[in-house]
Order: sequence, then structure tokens, then C-alpha cells
Amino acid sequence: MAVQGNKRLLLILTLVIVGGALLTLVFTSFTDSLVYFLTPSEVKEKAATLTGRKIRIGGMVQEGSLEKVPDTLKIRFLVTDGANRIPVHYEGMLPDLFREGQGVVVEGVWQPEAPFAASTILAKHSEDYVPVEMSKEGVAKAKESILKSLQ
Amino acid sequence: MWIEIGHFAALTALLAALVQWVAPIAGLRLQRPAWIRVGRQAAFAGLLLLSLASFALIKSFLDHDFSVAYVANHASLKLPIFYLATAMWGGHEGSLLLWAWFLSLFIAIAAWRHWQTHPDSMPWVLSILGALLSGFLLLVLFLSSPFERMIPPPADGRDLNPLLQDPGMVFHPPFLYMGYVGFAIPYAFAMAALITGRAGEEWILATRRWTLFSWAMLTTGIIFGGYWAYYELGWGGYWAWDPVENASFMPWLTATAYLHSVMVQERREMFKTWNLFLIIATFALSLLGTFLVRSGVLSSVHAFATDPGRGIYILVFMAVVLVFSFGLLVQRSDQLRTPTTLESLLCRESAFLFNNLFFVVAALTVLLGTLFPLAVETLTASKVTVGAPYYNKVFVPIMLGMLLLMGVGPMLAWRRAAGGQWKRTFLVPGVLGSIAMAGAWAAGVHHPYGLLAVLLIFFVGATHVLEVWRGAMVRSRQSGDGPGTALLRMINRNRRRYGGFVVHLGILVMVSGFIGSGLFQEERDLVAKPGDRFRIGGWELSFESIQETSKRNWTAMEATIRARKGGQEVVLLPQKRIYNEHSQPTTEAAIHSVWNEDLYVVLGDAVGEGFGIRLYRNPLVGWIWWGAGIVMLGVILALMQGRGLPRRKE
Repeated sequence: MAVQGNKRLLLILTLVIVGGALLTLVFTSFTDSLVYFLTPSEVKEKAATLTGRKIRIGGMVQEGSLEKVPDTLKIRFLVTDGANRIPVHYEGMLPDLFREGQGVVVEGVWQPEAPFAASTILAKHSEDYVPVEMSKEGVAKAKESILKSLQ
Repeated sequence: MWIEIGHFAALTALLAALVQWVAPIAGLRLQRPAWIRVGRQAAFAGLLLLSLASFALIKSFLDHDFSVAYVANHASLKLPIFYLATAMWGGHEGSLLLWAWFLSLFIAIAAWRHWQTHPDSMPWVLSILGALLSGFLLLVLFLSSPFERMIPPPADGRDLNPLLQDPGMVFHPPFLYMGYVGFAIPYAFAMAALITGRAGEEWILATRRWTLFSWAMLTTGIIFGGYWAYYELGWGGYWAWDPVENASFMPWLTATAYLHSVMVQERREMFKTWNLFLIIATFALSLLGTFLVRSGVLSSVHAFATDPGRGIYILVFMAVVLVFSFGLLVQRSDQLRTPTTLESLLCRESAFLFNNLFFVVAALTVLLGTLFPLAVETLTASKVTVGAPYYNKVFVPIMLGMLLLMGVGPMLAWRRAAGGQWKRTFLVPGVLGSIAMAGAWAAGVHHPYGLLAVLLIFFVGATHVLEVWRGAMVRSRQSGDGPGTALLRMINRNRRRYGGFVVHLGILVMVSGFIGSGLFQEERDLVAKPGDRFRIGGWELSFESIQETSKRNWTAMEATIRARKGGQEVVLLPQKRIYNEHSQPTTEAAIHSVWNEDLYVVLGDAVGEGFGIRLYRNPLVGWIWWGAGIVMLGVILALMQGRGLPRRKE
């Protein structure tokens, strides 16, 4: 019976160790991989705390701000929420739905005193779909302020 | 006209569902068997009525009846007939109706098949399923109706989202829904078992084929989704850990855990509460999957609409299901005590235990990553996302652990593994795996996960093949049959076990695909003009020309690119399409598949005189689809075993 008890203990111990290791893996990876989503205004506000962090910035591609570097896949544009704008650099293929005046989410590592080097660009994926990060009011507001700034 | 008939049929189906909900319980309480039979008839009536309603919606699409708002929003005059008929589930209103139709179909089948065999559970099963169907039909009819008219009707519809005009996307939702809905039947049987106090093995045996079928459908649905993403979205991958993909993956993980852990209950009468928990979790996650996608709370391709009323209804529905299920489980926990306990670390039972640990942690991983951003957004002002790196970091080790268990578990004996068997069972596979790993190292695979995966894939494959071969040889010696006959006889005797083996082999093929495409994908972005040459992964490509082309409802810029590798030469035609009713372009990648890799070419925007071009070399990606096919063969084999399981009590 003592042998039985030992085996049971061994089983439970293994279970706890393996389970604990798995959960540790989950939670450490989790905190490492959180990416904060910010609007250009929030970025300006918190710029000091963001250095070296991976973030997503969401807003509109400002009308008239898109520049393409000839014969390369490099582009530059401004992401705006109406109040503030952030210059963004990107090199690579653009999503089908990327264009001026449309909602966009750019992801990259924030470095102060430099244009935001985006590693990924997400554009809204269909005419029916607005990313949650870009709520309808957000888009409307941003559009409104862009119009205002043009007047 | 048709749409009114459909609307009326769906309303009547709601009445039938309410009857199906109430009549059987009333009949049971008042001891009127006739009322229980009324509940059963209501289930059949529900199927007929919802079939009529679904047909009416499809008919409205085929008739181009744009006075129906749903048709106007998801079809156009030029939409090809195949997509016209299947546009029924192209938006969320119609796909919820499809969900309800599947539920009524499965209810009718259950009422027909299990009526004789499970007379005690049947009233409760009917009633629970009636309640679910009523809840769903309320949603379909009053919060997201596909039957609404649009006055005045537009001359032409807004067309189906171009991304959905693809066979992968046509088959993805129905299969996924069949999987989701299929779990409703085992769930109802489990709840009935708790209510009637027969929470033994009966409900598990009764629903074995249901769970296996639903699992197979869910697997197929998920694979179709990945296939669609790969062929249609043009980003070179098939799985992005998008919340919507995760939503379908969570019930798959708990269902897989359940498929394994029920075997322990069948053989050893253990894990009773756990199995009930798993089936409840699987069904609840299926509901969550449907609702996450259809309520529009997630930032994702699939979340087409936002509607707070619908969201609240869905939350309440989920809450009721969860409170009812877990409340019942807690209330009846005294019935669920198990006389037997685990005796050893090295036995089949404990292998299943660890299997379940891995699958449940995997499900928790996905749940955390999917719901945490929603929680943060609700509770605080900030928004966060949890990206693919998190899932990849967690899932690769979990997957490797599962592979190890897959190689060891099925070979261990129940209760206690005999020590002497170890060398016999695992020596050859271990050596084979090590040789394969050394070979992979020599061939240039240096990633530790890649090497471990190769080792485990060969190890698991060898344990399975060896086990089958040994079994067949022993049988052949005993019976005097030839080895081939003995093999077939052996498989035939226990189709479920060997079906499971085939599923495992299919999974190995799929894992090879995941590892190959995940760790060894090559990618290149460039700008090129017609006449330019470039290369990727041993392929030499020459950009020959660019031309315009068009079909019924789209026009496209199309590049002609010739690709050569070794002796083979192919022409690839990647396109940038514009569908007539839509201003946004869509990408049509050109994909050339050979047995060990895909060459994947995407045409981008014009850049000066040239065009942006993105190239991928995706090793072993096709193995994922082939592996899924093998998995399905295994499931079919396992499904051919009826209720009469070989049950030996040790």
C-alpha cells in the first residue's frame, strides 16, 4: 500500500510540475507580447514612457501626406486622429485597402526623435468592416477634423 | 413572396421549438407519454419549417429579389450562380439561420435515432434542445432577421464581399457550424444524464458518434478557413491567431481533450465530472465562437456588424447556458464519485490525464489571448492586442509535449504498464527518431524546435506503425492467416483504435506542414519591371509581361511570371482584381505547389514603371491539407464502429 501511495504522490507531483511549467510559460509569454494600441494624441502624451516598446498606432492616413520613394517599396505618410499626427516610414507591400483618408493601424517599435518605423501595416479589411480600434465615431471625428484642417 | 413564406415558416418553427421545449417536460411531470411524443413531432416539424425558411432565402437570392435587404446587401445581378446560392451564409443574419437549420436537422436526427434506445433521457434531451433552438430563433427572427424587406428595392445589389467569393469561404462556415451545432447533441445528453441521475457511461456511449462527427466537421471547417486565408488573402500564411480563428480553435481543443478522456470513463469509470465539464466547455465555447464572430465585438475580418442589442442578447444567452450547465453539475456532484483511482504514473490513464492537461492549457492560452484585450478595453480606457508571438511561443512547446504523449500514450497498458515492455516498444522508434534528427541536422535544420519536431514526428510515426505491424504478426501466427488478412481483420475488430491511429498519422503530416512553413518560410519583397529576373529558394523567376484581364464580375491587372527550378517550368499569373461593385482591389496570389513546397507570388501596386512583387517559398504547406485528409479518413474508420464497443473489464 505504501508503494501505491508513493506512486500516487509521484503522479500528482509530476502533474503539478508539468502544469505549473505550462502555466508559467503562458503567463511569461503573455506579458511579453502585449502590444498597446494608441492614437496619435496618446502617443504624443506618453512618448517618454514608450521608448523601445512595440506599439500599434491607429488613425487615418492624412490626405496628401503619402509619399512614395521612387523605384522602391518605401513609403512615408502621416497618421492622424485629427488633433495630432505621427510621421510613419514603411517598406514593403501595402495591404489592398491602404489609401489616403482611410483608417490604418501601424505596428512597430517606438523610438523618440525619429519617424515611426512601421514593421506591419493593417488597413481595414473590407468596405463593411471597420477595425474596432477605429470605432465609427473615431473615424467620423477624424474625418471631420481633417476636413476642418483643410479649410 | 418567397421571403414572406420563409419568414412565416421561421416564426412557426419558433412555435414548434417552444412546444418541443415545454411539452416533453410537462408530459413527464403529468405522466402523459403522448405529450412527450408531441415534443418529438415538434422536432420534425421544426426541421421541415426551417428547411422551408432556408430554401425561401436561397430562392430569393436566385431570383435576385433585391427587395429583401439581406439579398441586396450580399448579392448582385452579376454574381455567379454558385456564389448566389451560397451567399445565403455570406452575412451574419443568413449564417445564423443556417446555424438554426443545422440545429433543427440534428435535433430531428437525434429524435429519430435515439427515441427507442434512450427513452428515459429523450424527454429532457428534446426539451433542452428545444430551449436552445427557441433561443436561437428568437435571435434570428427579432434581432438579426434575414427576412426584412427593403423598400424601395435597389436596381442591383451591393454584391458579395469579394473576399468571400472563393470556394474555401463557401465551405468554411457550413462545416464550422456543423461542428459547433453537433456538440449540442452530446451536451443535451450530458445534461439529461445529470437531470435523470444516470451520469454513468450511457450518455457517452450514446453520443460517441455525434462527438466524433462534430469534431471532424469542426476540424474540416477550421482547415477550410486556413485554406481560404492562404489562397485568398495573399499574405502567404494560413493562420494569423486572429480572434475569429481562435474562436473556432478553442472548442476544437476542448473537444479533442474530451475525445480522449471519455475513453478513460468507458474503460475505468473515472473522470466522470471532468468529462461533463469538457462537454459543457466545448459546447459553451462553440456558442462563444458563433457569438464572438457574429456580435462584432472583435476587431477582425469576419466581424461584419456591430449591434449592441444583439450583443446583450447573446451575452444573456451565454450566461443562461453556463449557469444552467454548471449549476446542474455542481448540484449533482454527489452522483459523480468514482470508486477507482489512478494507480500509476506510467499507464494509459495517466497519459490521457496529461493529454488533457496539455489541451486544456492550450485552450486557456487561446482564451486568455482572445478575451483579455476585450476585458482591458471594457474595464480601462486603454486598448491592447495580443499578437502571434505570444501564441507561437506557447504553442510550439505545447505541441511538442502533445506529440511526445501521442507516441507514448497509446502504447501503454491500462492500469499499469509492465516495465519490460519499454525497450521493446520504444527502442526502435527512439533510434529512428534520433537518426531522422541527425539527418535533419545534416540537411541544414538547426532550429532546436525543428530538430525536436523531426525527432518526435519520426518517433510517434514509428511507434504507431510498429504497434500495428506487431499486432498483425501476432494475429497472423495465431490464426494462420496471411499478414495482410490478419492486418485487415485486426483493424476491423477495433476500428475505433486504428481509426485513431490513422488520425494520429494525419496529425503528424499536418505538424510537418506547420513546422516546415512556420520555421522555414522564405519571403522577399521587390520592385520589378517586365523583363526583370529574380530568384527565391532555388526558383528562378522572370517577369514577362503585365496585362489586363476580366471575367463576369471583375477586371484585373495580371502579371505573367515564368518560374523555373530543376527541370520544371511553370507560368504564374498573380492578379490584382477589382470587382465591379467594389472600389477596393483584392489580391489573387498565384501559387504553384509541388510535393515539398509552394511558390507563392503576389502582385502589388505599380511603383514608377515597375510593380511591387512579394515572393514566398512555403515549405511543406500542402502537407497541412493532405494531413487533414488523412485525419478525415481516420475519423471515418473510427465512425464505422457502432455502439458495441469491445468492453473488457479488467
